[in-house]
Amino acid sequence: MLYLIPHLINGIGLGLLFALIALGFTLIVGVMELINLAHGSLFALGAYFALVVLGVFQPLQEITSPLFSYGVALVLAPLGVAVVGMGLEVGMRRTYGKDPLYGLLFTFGAALVIEEAIRVIWGSVEYSLDVPDLISGSILLGNLIYSKYRIFASFFSIILIVLVWYLIERTKMGAIIKAGAHDSEMVRALGINITRLRLFVFAFGTALAAIAGVIMAPIWGIRPHVGVDAVIPAFLIVVLGGVGSFWGSVMAGLMVGLTAGLTGAYASDWSIVSIYILLIVVITFRRRGLFGKASKLDI
Amino acid sequence: MKLLRMVGTDFGKMLFVLLFFASLPFWINHVGFYQYIGVEILIWCTYAMAFNLALGYTGLPSFGHGAFLGVGAYAMAIYQLNFAGQSLWLGLSFALLFGAMAGGLVALFLSHRRGIYFALMTVAFGQVFWFIAIKWRSLTKGEDGLLNLQRLPAQFGLISFNLDENFSYYFFTLAVFAFTLIMLWILIHSPFGHIIQALKQNEMRTRFIGYDVRVFKWISFTISAGISGLAGGMFALAQQSAFPDVMNLQWSGIIVMMVIIGGGLVSFWGPIVGTIFYFVARDLLGAYTETWMLWFGLTFMLIILFQPEGLVGIWRKVGAGLNRKYFQAASIPSQDVSLPDSSLQQIK
Repeated sequence: MLYLIPHLINGIGLGLLFALIALGFTLIVGVMELINLAHGSLFALGAYFALVVLGVFQPLQEITSPLFSYGVALVLAPLGVAVVGMGLEVGMRRTYGKDPLYGLLFTFGAALVIEEAIRVIWGSVEYSLDVPDLISGSILLGNLIYSKYRIFASFFSIILIVLVWYLIERTKMGAIIKAGAHDSEMVRALGINITRLRLFVFAFGTALAAIAGVIMAPIWGIRPHVGVDAVIPAFLIVVLGGVGSFWGSVMAGLMVGLTAGLTGAYASDWSIVSIYILLIVVITFRRRGLFGKASKLDI
Repeated sequence: MKLLRMVGTDFGKMLFVLLFFASLPFWINHVGFYQYIGVEILIWCTYAMAFNLALGYTGLPSFGHGAFLGVGAYAMAIYQLNFAGQSLWLGLSFALLFGAMAGGLVALFLSHRRGIYFALMTVAFGQVFWFIAIKWRSLTKGEDGLLNLQRLPAQFGLISFNLDENFSYYFFTLAVFAFTLIMLWILIHSPFGHIIQALKQNEMRTRFIGYDVRVFKWISFTISAGISGLAGGMFALAQQSAFPDVMNLQWSGIIVMMVIIGGGLVSFWGPIVGTIFYFVARDLLGAYTETWMLWFGLTFMLIILFQPEGLVGIWRKVGAGLNRKYFQAASIPSQDVSLPDSSLQQIK
């Protein structure tokens, strides 16, 4: 059994990253009952914005540390993407109240447009994001070598997941957001501006996508197509965990990571297809995923 | 006037569509296009019609239909390369059969799923087929694709037509397209067609009337996949190769976009309009800009927002407007095409 442990640790690390990728998607699906297929493209956009921010800081190397500019990129890039997300949400308002398929199709179009726009602006070449020395390189634990950055990314995911959970489950803001999802008319009758609330939730969800994009950039590289690599696992995790269940998504992320990690170790060709098979098996037996609740999305 | 009214019927429209395509090779070079685009348009029209049986008529949002096109293409290619197949008819039958088998298998898992879970399962299955096509290198040669296919001659008893030229192959695709078009029209206007449209509008009520909706969803999806497989076989012959690309998520999404832009949600003819629009836009815009997909995507977003009934919907609105203006006396009750939720509308 002992030889399994490194694979298990890798799998959990990967799972946390997957959960991070799916976090913004989960939030928007859970609160707005909207499948945001542009999630992946916004994820990629976050990485490109971080690239721009780091580029701006490049001449200022003398007076700033790389760690500082990296931190600034991690804050500014998501804010920039949130603005794009707000634009998207405003455009999308016409689809509210219609068949959820329209929202899905609209964001699918948006995904295509953002990806092409990235190609126009930055070209199709692959970029890489430099990581500050403090979290680059590798570390020896026992007799196993780990990448420092992956450890950092895993802990960052845990922190962000807990923060989002706290915001949704333990603050007044979260209570209003959840109430808005449950019965928007009632919340509006209580004098809360639900239009602004939706705008905020969508912007927050896209900012989370962008944060995941910045965090994943050193691991996956930055190229226009990376959005598709992100949105499919996100979509998959949310459905596996069940729409509307926060911990369901986190659990599903871990499961997907473990599955991909373990099959990656023994049959690396099949590591990606294994997660689809996992989904098919689970959905065949549990029709709303692991912890899904009834929502208008499954009607 | 009598002639004009006949054009308005489905028979007239079908005649128009077929005559349009039959005359296409004779003038397409003069408007700046080339023969091969006609072949592409017809094959994708066949595929789009098949796809719309699932999306438009049965209300099954499939985002993995490329898998069936790909299975059909590979069936044709493997039949030719690994089994030295020399019969066009047998090759196309295999394409149809394997497409339908793949679709039937997928539909077994899907037919009791609904809404977003259905859509996601089609994505997952589409990806699984795509991965198999890439990874099963001994059979499919992975991303290199299967090359050097022949356009087998079409044999009718003693007569045999050589399809090597794009011109002759075009008329063969037209024959296949016409056959599918007529078959689909009959299917949709049969009792079966009424049941699938009913279950699209309200699955629960259809079940309460006593129909086993799962069986009908399964049949509809399988037929759709089978015809997609047939289109895939035709596509492999057209390209004389089979690649995994058409099976990936992006291509599966493009067929959704074609059908919706055309107006597949409200019209039998929508997929044809959408496919022509896609290919013409690709070549016209593609000549000016590398990133025509950006503009196509924006068009799609605008259509979803303002005109989910697609180009056919716009046509109907314009037509209704002209009607009111010039044929007031005819007192046709104005067709209001902008119902709040077009997905609930019946396809006219």
